Amino acid sequence: MSDAPIAVVSGGSRGLGLDVVRAFLTSGYRVATFSRASSVELAQLEASHPDQLVWRSIDARDSAALAAFVTEVGRSWGGVDILVNNAGVAADGMLTLMASAEIDSTVATNLNSAVHLTQACAKWMIRAGRGAIVNVSSVNGVRGHSGVAVYSATKAAMDGVTRALARELGPRGIRVNSVAPGYFESDMVKSLDAAALQRIIRRTPLGRLARVSDITNVIQYLVSDAAAFLTGQIIVVDGGITC
Amino acid sequence: MREAVRKLLRERGRAPQALHDSDKLGATLGLKSLDLAQLVFDLELTLCANPFSGLVPITSVRTIGDLAHAFELARADAGTGEAGEGGVAAELAVAQAAERRRAQRRGLT
Repeated sequence: MSDAPIAVVSGGSRGLGLDVVRAFLTSGYRVATFSRASSVELAQLEASHPDQLVWRSIDARDSAALAAFVTEVGRSWGGVDILVNNAGVAADGMLTLMASAEIDSTVATNLNSAVHLTQACAKWMIRAGRGAIVNVSSVNGVRGHSGVAVYSATKAAMDGVTRALARELGPRGIRVNSVAPGYFESDMVKSLDAAALQRIIRRTPLGRLARVSDITNVIQYLVSDAAAFLTGQIIVVDGGITC
Repeated sequence: MREAVRKLLRERGRAPQALHDSDKLGATLGLKSLDLAQLVFDLELTLCANPFSGLVPITSVRTIGDLAHAFELARADAGTGEAGEGGVAAELAVAQAAERRRAQRRGLT
């Protein structure tokens, strides 16, 4: 257990984050995650993996709390090997009609928090001379879609972070990649009506929405030694909708 | 402070040498930006202070003396500092010894 990789996953209480936490635990990793509130599923995982899983209640927009969280993990477990920047919020609507507070909050949650968390974790990785970072991006960061300008901006920005940090941290053996999911079965597509979902499915060569596990599998691959020579890349997992 | 620099130089495979406050971290000692990042983080962990989170610009640090001064400022700002290099050096030695003991308990050394 003491040699098990140490993974930090933001937003691990539900959806993709929860699935990544579960997969990492199954792989034997030690996992530290946070979210504003826990969930029944995460509480069950905490109970069944008391020495392997840590959860804290943190608002991702609180950079001081993020730094303290990573320090706690690093000091108690001896480092941070893996970071998955998953926490994010959906924000849709015409830009001209969005409230300023919603714009600021979306950027703070989807971009600023990920940058601050990466800063804190990368320090441990530089010290160890190894590490893997996966930023959960979106096809909205790769293609333009109406009604998601702010969300798209944050995801495209994260892809920029991925490419820059891949160069910055590569010399220390730290790999940085993005996973850009298409529409997948999550809370974030709940706002779409049935007709919109059918339209997406119709345009997807593989003929369905992504399953959460489709995304998790790619994340697991990216943090594994099987991806040892892969860095600075945006891996689009969308069933071919953007091809 | 000098011990932290010496430790990093040893990790980089360079023979420890006599170090002076006036030694330039890059030009004289050959530390790269990632080395400096690691050095600053090692000091941040042991001294529980980070002058570069807003108090001091990293670009103002050229020498070992500059680095020591930055951490003195951070510790003073946090209300934990003692005047002079001796305060930081003594604190660093104590913190590093404690870290070595923790590492030994974890079986890391």
